[in-house]
Amino acid sequence: MQDSQKRTARLRIGALGVITAAAVAMSGCAAGAPQNDSGKTTLNAIFLPADWGKVVQEKLAPEYERETGVKVNVELVGRDAIHEKMATLFAGQDSSYDIFNVDYNWIPEFGKGGHLVPLDNALQDKEDFLPLSLKVATWDDKLLGIPQTVHPATLWYNGALYDDQTIKDQYQAETGNTLAVPKTMDEWLTQVKFFNGKTFRGQKLSGWAAQAAKGFGNVHTWLSFAYSFGCKPLNADFTKSTLTTPECIGATERWSEMMKYMPAGANDFTYDSVTTAAQQGSIATAIQWSWGQFATDNPSASKTVGDWQMTTIPTGPTGISSAHLAEWVISVSKYSKNTEEATKFAVWLESKKNDVLQATNGGGDPVRISSYSDPTLTEQKLEGNGAARFRRLPVTLEAMKTAQPRPFFPGEETWETALSTELSAISLGQRGVQEGLSRADEAIDKNLSQ
Amino acid sequence: MTTSITESRVPRKTTPPSGVPGRRQPKKLGRYLAMSPGLLFLAAISLYPTLYSLVVSFMRWNLSSGEAARFAGIDNYVDLLTDGLFWNSVRVTLVFVFFSVLIELALAFGLALLFFRGLPGDKFLRALIMMPMLCAPVVVGLLARFSLEPTYGIVNQLMRSIGLPTTEFLGNVDLALPTLIAIDVWQWTPFLFLILLAAMQGLPEEVIEASKIDGASWPRIIWHQFLPLLRYPILVGVLLRLIDSFRVYDIVYMTTRGGPVDATSTMSWQIYNVGFRAFNISYAAAFSWLLLLLVLLAVNSLIRRMVARS
Repeated sequence: MQDSQKRTARLRIGALGVITAAAVAMSGCAAGAPQNDSGKTTLNAIFLPADWGKVVQEKLAPEYERETGVKVNVELVGRDAIHEKMATLFAGQDSSYDIFNVDYNWIPEFGKGGHLVPLDNALQDKEDFLPLSLKVATWDDKLLGIPQTVHPATLWYNGALYDDQTIKDQYQAETGNTLAVPKTMDEWLTQVKFFNGKTFRGQKLSGWAAQAAKGFGNVHTWLSFAYSFGCKPLNADFTKSTLTTPECIGATERWSEMMKYMPAGANDFTYDSVTTAAQQGSIATAIQWSWGQFATDNPSASKTVGDWQMTTIPTGPTGISSAHLAEWVISVSKYSKNTEEATKFAVWLESKKNDVLQATNGGGDPVRISSYSDPTLTEQKLEGNGAARFRRLPVTLEAMKTAQPRPFFPGEETWETALSTELSAISLGQRGVQEGLSRADEAIDKNLSQ
Repeated sequence: MTTSITESRVPRKTTPPSGVPGRRQPKKLGRYLAMSPGLLFLAAISLYPTLYSLVVSFMRWNLSSGEAARFAGIDNYVDLLTDGLFWNSVRVTLVFVFFSVLIELALAFGLALLFFRGLPGDKFLRALIMMPMLCAPVVVGLLARFSLEPTYGIVNQLMRSIGLPTTEFLGNVDLALPTLIAIDVWQWTPFLFLILLAAMQGLPEEVIEASKIDGASWPRIIWHQFLPLLRYPILVGVLLRLIDSFRVYDIVYMTTRGGPVDATSTMSWQIYNVGFRAFNISYAAAFSWLLLLLVLLAVNSLIRRMVARS
């Protein structure tokens, strides 16, 4: 290589080095300063791609920026991915995200690890929140999330079917009873058996449907049976699995028996499968989350607009009605460089006005007691139908009085996985109820001992 | 000009200057220096994480507990080898790998034979065959989930229209794994087809012609000429598919999530469950190392077998 070529090469390498160093320095600066171009604060948030996440992304975050100048980037990420991101980012004490949409059963897990900012002082009007919604956002006496939406499981029934005189007469003739909304598990089973296989409005009916897929769906449905039968899946301090008690066995036997009256492919049923069946009018009843009524009232996707009604989960043998509770909360990362601003945004999202606004836009059921009597919601009617758009709210409010969360301890996800496998085996007839529950006890106790 | 370059190079190559023993060292050093960024990059993104996961596999470490990792010796490996879920996932994975790769190879070979002499419209057909391979496995999983749904899925609707009963392909314990194998075969047969077709088209025409003149039938030509000559392309294709099949995760995630019961719980799915649902990172690391060991064993035995035969 000639001298001049060598010089050129050195110059090029030098220039490349300078550019690389500058790029590294600039990227470092950018990462360290959570501010937008105009020097104002920028927050990064992850929400679920459900309606309540979309409302935040499309309406509330832009409005907050207009009001305060604080920009909030909202990413919509699936449930499993949120859980993974939180654990890995927290382990690395990463400050990339300030706010997370959290399934309440992760509160003990991340609360125990000390990864979430306590929000007790930030939330001034706690008395307006549904007490249970706050309870499941609290770990170790610290409020670690602002409730965003609640979904207790409710019993759905096709009102058109229950009002049909021919069906009523048939029911009277076959069972000797008057067809009415079921109040007990026994009444419900009788009705499910009656409806199963009948044809209504050209659709062959299945008695009921609910989430039953392995993963979490079957556990969530099973819990409404378990709680209503008085079953407590774990002992008080979550150190021992207690699935083989008479209450748990009774609940599982009933759940397993009722699985026979679900549609074909029920063992694979997710929330969407139940919604589709309800929209098509191919089921008579269902156990489904309360807010799902929006989908069945959507005229572009549903043949049953205004038909579906709700009531609380039927009572078990001891007269208890207790639904499984689903709820999402908004939490602030301890590693955020802007915890104060992030906390302000989380609290603002659940102001009285925004709680109602989220519900109006399909963002799940409200978390504030006052929202349940807000005329904006209670007086809304379905277009061209006349049915109340939020007719489920009184039932949701009632269900929230006795609903129970999933076992509220840090190992809940692992517990759910172990139980789900055995419930799947029971519902498919691979194992008997007693054997399946004993195996679940064993697997859960092994996990707990670790 | 040419002469001067030749003159300047020849002495350096043939007669290293005497009395300077380390004269070639700087040149070697220069090479290593030139390679070092690449080597460092490789070490950072591949070697370090691999070794780190090995270290982690000898610890007790739950990512969400907030507690520090502590040394646990071989506890994770002992726990794994006595864990029924582990052995179930090994069985499921081996069945999946064996049948999916075998069926893909047979189908790909048949298709390649059909195409290598040319067919009317073969370009269009080849493009059509390639399409599944171009889809992301997540998309394939989602398509399969919707298509195979018992009530509204197109497959069951077609089956009902010809009088066959509704079938729960993904919800039946006995059918779920074969269904996943069928999905994998649908997606990845084109990959082996592509490799085998290219290899067949490169075969010497004289060999085939000579065999024909000798009166050999097509089955004999295929058995005695094609298969031996295609041994190495087949080996490469099968190895790539074998490694990929062992890692199957996407379609399990999108279709059965390891169920029904644990009929489709492959090793990768179990590793995901342990690592990213329970966040038991150390147990998941040990699990991954055992999977790696299994893949290495399978690949190694296949290579040895093929080389020994040749």
